[in-house]
Amino acid sequence: MGRKLLLEKAHVEGIRSFEVYRREGGYRSVEKALKTMSPEEIVEEVKKSGLRGRGGAGFPAGMKWSFIAKPEGVPRHLVCNADESEPGTFKDRYLMEFIPHLLIEGLIVSSFALGSNATYIYIRGEYAWIPDILEQAIAEAKANGFLGKNILGTGFDCEIYVQRGAGAYICGEETALIESLEGKRGNPRIKPPFPAIKGVWGRPTVVNNVETLASVVPIINEGGEEYAKIGVGKSTGTKLISACGNINKPGVFEIDMTISVEEFIYSDEYCGGIANGKRLKACIPGGSSVPILPANLLLKTAKGETRYMNYESLSDGGFATGSMMGSGGFIVLDEDQCVVRNTYSLARFYRHESCGQCSPCREGTGWMEKLLYRLEKGEGKSSDIDLLWDIQRKIEGNTICPLGDAAAWPVAAAIRHFRDEFEWHVSHAAEAQTRNFGLAHYADPIHVPA
Amino acid sequence: MSDTTLFKVTIDNISIDVPAGTTILNAARMIGGDVAPPAMCYYSKLEGSGGKCRTCLVEVSKGSEKDPRPMPKLVASCRTTVMDGMEVKNITSPKVVDARAGIVEFLLLNHPLDCPICDQAGECHLQDLSYEHGKEGTRYEFQRRTFKKHDLGKYIQLHMTRCILCYRCVFAADQLTGKREHGILDRGDHSEIATMIEKNLQSDFIGNVIDVCPVGALTDKTFRFKNRVWFLKPMNAHRDCPTCSGKVTLWNRGEEVFRVTARKDQWGEVEEWICNECRFEKKQSSDWTIEGPRLIDRHSVISQGHYAGTVGTNMPTETIEAVLHGRKPKLLMDIHEVSEVNRPHIELSKINGPAHSNNFNPDND
Repeated sequence: MGRKLLLEKAHVEGIRSFEVYRREGGYRSVEKALKTMSPEEIVEEVKKSGLRGRGGAGFPAGMKWSFIAKPEGVPRHLVCNADESEPGTFKDRYLMEFIPHLLIEGLIVSSFALGSNATYIYIRGEYAWIPDILEQAIAEAKANGFLGKNILGTGFDCEIYVQRGAGAYICGEETALIESLEGKRGNPRIKPPFPAIKGVWGRPTVVNNVETLASVVPIINEGGEEYAKIGVGKSTGTKLISACGNINKPGVFEIDMTISVEEFIYSDEYCGGIANGKRLKACIPGGSSVPILPANLLLKTAKGETRYMNYESLSDGGFATGSMMGSGGFIVLDEDQCVVRNTYSLARFYRHESCGQCSPCREGTGWMEKLLYRLEKGEGKSSDIDLLWDIQRKIEGNTICPLGDAAAWPVAAAIRHFRDEFEWHVSHAAEAQTRNFGLAHYADPIHVPA
Repeated sequence: MSDTTLFKVTIDNISIDVPAGTTILNAARMIGGDVAPPAMCYYSKLEGSGGKCRTCLVEVSKGSEKDPRPMPKLVASCRTTVMDGMEVKNITSPKVVDARAGIVEFLLLNHPLDCPICDQAGECHLQDLSYEHGKEGTRYEFQRRTFKKHDLGKYIQLHMTRCILCYRCVFAADQLTGKREHGILDRGDHSEIATMIEKNLQSDFIGNVIDVCPVGALTDKTFRFKNRVWFLKPMNAHRDCPTCSGKVTLWNRGEEVFRVTARKDQWGEVEEWICNECRFEKKQSSDWTIEGPRLIDRHSVISQGHYAGTVGTNMPTETIEAVLHGRKPKLLMDIHEVSEVNRPHIELSKINGPAHSNNFNPDND
């Protein structure tokens, strides 16, 4: 079965402590990287590994690292994005909670590669207990000479600071995170300039997800080429998937991206099938902002091929018949779930979390929420569905940051694939309050004018 | 990059050479006319402004001479700098026109549309924008949002419902005053401009937030409900002011000074910031040395019918005969002979005070 690189040791007794982690082979990558490799070699190794950003967009991490500007005399920073607030995503929490030293180890190596002497972990405020775990791990690492001044006698200094967020989803966007880290209002910046040129306090900065930085450890230990052998195509390495919804075994799973979606849902090793013997209706495969897929399109692509749990296969067919890997928040909906209600609930989330800076997102998300509320309550009109389609179309791509897109995509996909359910909520308004639409015939996506 | 490097940029098929580092919006403003995208949040005098309202979105159909790929999304022209050989589509792109209509709809979604009682009416950028790019009706069927009232002090009136959250006043207070006392509270569609402590805007230059506000969210309390801006005559005037340049526009009716604002250029942007004393305290003609009438260049209704020459400059040059291929127009009725009020030789702006039927009485000629 698939190899585990990140969570292999997560359940060893006492792995949170430095002694046990070190005994299990921890911090080998720091020794290897700092003593035998140059920063450029590490970046090259990460490039070779094909590691893609695990935060959602899937941008190659090595590429991102090579973009960082290196002006003379200006400090650079690495920021770890632990502001994991996407509904359905809880993989980073698991990693930080159970095996915090893995993240610290990855951060030290990455800081060395990027030349960051002050590295920050920006963690969401709701993870109230995790900063203590991380800070203890940092203190232990420091006591053992892996952090602080002159690490392992190599002359490299690095400090890691944990900064708590105040509960805003938008601060997971890298420039909003930087603003918030600087102590300002968490509004996304207008790009360009990108953080690689002007980030924290105007200095070159790289912002990476927790899982991305933790993945640097096995890459250095085993070599980039070895790491790239795991997985398939451009989806290399292992990926943490946090599965939730109507499944028998919700939780965080480490997969090697070669298994099919069907296997992931029904195999006892992973989700263990749909709970209570129900049937699968739909699934949001990568966290709340990616398009929802009906069962038939989830298990097989539009071309009739099996869909696999990797970046390319999940996005096969574009947004018309595909979705995205996203951040790995796998939300499964069984036949008893109402897609209209689900979409409303997501729209409410995005309305609440919009920063209010740019007009399409600020006004559009609220409008979509009100329309969906009305549809869900059985007070909607059939024209509302077309209106929703038009609103999402005018938000998408016209906003400062991807939150506008993230708010538009779920609504677009729900209408694209489940338009009959929306229409049923209008035509059978009273009935829609008493029962759910059920499975119906989500065999073919219904044509919606673009 | 030296300052003298010139980049060639083509906007709506009109080419212009601009210095490197110029934004698309400023390049379009150099061309002028309809090519310049509307801007609700960008303010050239305020550092960091722009990029928020999204009304200035344009399509970049060719990135540059070196990299001719088009940009995948519409870009905010106020924050995107030009590249050599860049081709931009503004009003010639259906995508832009469509997106802009969408933005106008979003901006008006929660706007109360209380123009009839709003002091900004007539010189409101949102009004101009919605006339030019918006639709007649709204598709929004829900209650518009409201806010708890905040008192900003004796000079400035805040109407939060009209605000479009352009952040201009925040930037203005940051950059003009010693310390900013107001800002954006809350998040998303319930975010609002407010102060933590009531009646706390006290800086000498805080009155300028009224001038930078593109809508009627921040208005002059000393001018509140006193008059409509289009009944007033803007006059350039100056005084010897110890704190600011003292160069202002007076808004007169007869001899009475109704309000004082900074002088605004054709994009509605302040030329020189003025202090609170000039703006709020000097409401006597004797306080000022009048230089002469001020042209209001913007397509605002203020400029309608005020000064001979400001409106009529764009008159069509063709005669009726030319348009009708030589046929002479047949006069059915001369309105000026029939009407008691419509008298072409009476220039409305030359009437002292509001027009009255007496002004049109032929006996007074």
